[in-house]
Amino acid sequence: MTVDQISPVADRPGGGRAAPSDAGRASAARRPRVSMTARRHRAFYLFTSPWIIGFLLLTVAPMVYALWLSFTTFDGISPNWKYVGLGNYRELLNDPVTWDALGRAGLFAITSVPLSIIAGLALAVLVNRPVKARGLFRTLLYLPAVVPPVGAGLAFKLLFDPNSGATNGVMTFLGFEAIGWLADPYVRYVLLMTVLWGAGNVMIISLAGLQDVPRELHEAARIDGASAWRTFRSITVPLLSPVLLFQTVTGMIASVQTIMPLLLAPLGDTSGVTTVPQSNYLYMMHVFAQYFALGRYGYASALLWVLFVLILIATGLIFKFTSGVVFYNVDPEAKK
Amino acid sequence: MTATTAAPADIPVRVRVRTKRLVLYTVLVSVTGLFLGPFGWLVLSGLKTQGELAASPVHWLPDTFQWHNFADAFTQIDFLGYARNSLIIALLYATLVTLSSAWVGFGFARLDAPGKKVLFGILLASMMLPQMVTLLPTYLIFAKVGMVDTYWPWVLWGLSAAPYLVFLFRQFFAGMPRELEEAAIVDGCGYTSIFWRIFLPQSWSVLSASFIIAFTWTWGDYIAPQLLLSTDRTTLAVAVMTAYVNDGGTPVPELQAAASVMYVVPILLIFLIAQRGFVAGMSTSGLK
Repeated sequence: MTVDQISPVADRPGGGRAAPSDAGRASAARRPRVSMTARRHRAFYLFTSPWIIGFLLLTVAPMVYALWLSFTTFDGISPNWKYVGLGNYRELLNDPVTWDALGRAGLFAITSVPLSIIAGLALAVLVNRPVKARGLFRTLLYLPAVVPPVGAGLAFKLLFDPNSGATNGVMTFLGFEAIGWLADPYVRYVLLMTVLWGAGNVMIISLAGLQDVPRELHEAARIDGASAWRTFRSITVPLLSPVLLFQTVTGMIASVQTIMPLLLAPLGDTSGVTTVPQSNYLYMMHVFAQYFALGRYGYASALLWVLFVLILIATGLIFKFTSGVVFYNVDPEAKK
Repeated sequence: MTATTAAPADIPVRVRVRTKRLVLYTVLVSVTGLFLGPFGWLVLSGLKTQGELAASPVHWLPDTFQWHNFADAFTQIDFLGYARNSLIIALLYATLVTLSSAWVGFGFARLDAPGKKVLFGILLASMMLPQMVTLLPTYLIFAKVGMVDTYWPWVLWGLSAAPYLVFLFRQFFAGMPRELEEAAIVDGCGYTSIFWRIFLPQSWSVLSASFIIAFTWTWGDYIAPQLLLSTDRTTLAVAVMTAYVNDGGTPVPELQAAASVMYVVPILLIFLIAQRGFVAGMSTSGLK
C-alpha cells in the first residue's frame, strides 16, 4: 500500500516466523512491487489529469461544438436557427471569396515560411562566426522576435506610411516613386516583412543546432577541399534538418493564424476586418468577417473545420515528404 | 599545420582575411541596423508632433523632442488601469500554467501507465492545432456560461497546462537522475511530495523560462482579450491598438506610438534580463 513497505521488510512483523522461507521472502518482496506499479499508474493519471481534462473541455468540446454548429444556421441572435446538413459546406465550396482567401493564405504560407527559415539560417551562420561582440549582435537580432504583434504592427504601419514613413522617404531620396505600401497590392509585402522581422526566432534555434555540429566534420570537409557553400549544403543543412522541419511546421501554423493583416489595417470597426485590404484578406480574416462582422457562427464554424482538416493534411504531407530527407543524428550512447 | 600551408602566400592571405572581416562586419552591422529600424522608428514617432507625423515628404527628426507625448499617453486613456489588467491576466496565467505544465510534464517524464504513449502523441499533435481554430468556438461556450468579461478563461487555460510547456518540462525532468526519486520512495515519499520537494526546487531555470514565455504570450495576446473582455476590463494590447482616438474617432498616432513603446519595453527588458534561460528553453523545446 504505502511505499515504506519496501525498505524495512525485515523489521515488519513477519507473522512470528524466525527464518522466513525463500518463497515467503520472495512474495513479501514482490507484493509491494505490484502495488508500486499500480501506484505509478494512478499517479500518472493524477499528474496528467489537468491537461487531459483541460484538453477535453477547452479543445475537444469547442471543436465538437463547432462541428455541430457547422451543420446549422446558428447566429447567436435569431431563435429560428435550423439544421442544414452540409449546406454550409456546399455554400463554402461555391463561394469565390473563400477560395480567394484560401489561395492567399496558401501563397502567404509558402512564401513566408521558407523565406523566414532562409533568413533565420543566414543570420545564424552570420552570428556563428567568431566576431567581436557576437553575443550583442545575437541579442539585437533576436529582439524583434519578442516584440508583441501589436507593437510590431504599429511600427510597420508607421515605417511604411505612404506619406510620412521612412521607407518612402528613402525611396524618394534615391529617386524612386513613393509607393502606397499599406494598400493593395503592396501591403502583402509589408505583411511578409513583419514575418521576416521575427526571423531571430529561427536564428536562435538554428544556432543551438549549429553549435551541436561536430567540429571534426567541418575539419574533415576542409581537408578534403570542400568549399564553404558545399560544407554548408552537405553538412550543416542535413544536420540541422530536424530543426528546419520543426520550423516549417510551426511556421506554417503561425502563418495560418496570424492576425497581422488586422493590425496593419487602418483602424476600423471593433473587429477591424472590414478595413483589411483585399491582398491581406487571408483565410483567417474571412473567418473573422463571417464570425464577427456577420455573426454567421454556423458558416464560420464550417470554415474553421475545413481549415483544421487542411492543416492536418498539410502537416501529414510535410512529414511524409521529409521522412527520407530529414536526418536524425542519433547518438548510440544516448539511447535508453 | 596551418602555418606550413599558409606560409608561402602569407601576405595576400592576411590581406584577404582582413577584407573578408571588413565585409563580414559591414554586413553584420547593417543587418542589425535594419532589424532595429522599425523599433527605432516607433520611438522616434512617439517623439514627434501630430503635424510632423502627417507631413508628406517625411519629416525625419522632430524639431523638438515631444517627451510630453509619453506623459499624455497616460492621461488620454487609463493607461495604468489597462496595464494593471494586462499584468493581472499575465501573472495569473503564467503562474498557473507554469505549475500545471510542470505537474503534467512530471507525469509524462517520470511515471507510466497504459495509454501513456497515445496520450503523449495527442499532446504533441495538439501543438499543431492552431489556437485560433479552437478560440472562436471556445468564445461562444464562454459566452454561454457567463464567463465573458471575467478573467476566468485565463484561470481555466492556466490550470489546464500548455502542451508546449508540458513538453519543455518533460524534456527537463526526463534528464534528471533516477536515484533522486528512488531515494525518496525508500524514505516513504509519495509522488506529490517528490514533485514538490525534490523536482521543483531543482528546476528554477525551466520554471523561470516557462513563466517568462507564458507571461510574454499573454502580455502580447491581442485577440483573446479583444474577444472576451469589455473596453474597461481589457488589456493594454487592445487599448494601445484601439483606444487612442479623438472624440471624432480619428486616431492620435503620436500618442499611440508613445504608448506602444511603453507597452513593448517591459517585455524587451524581461527578455534582456532573463535572456539566457529564455533562449535555452526555446532551443531545447525546438530541437527534440
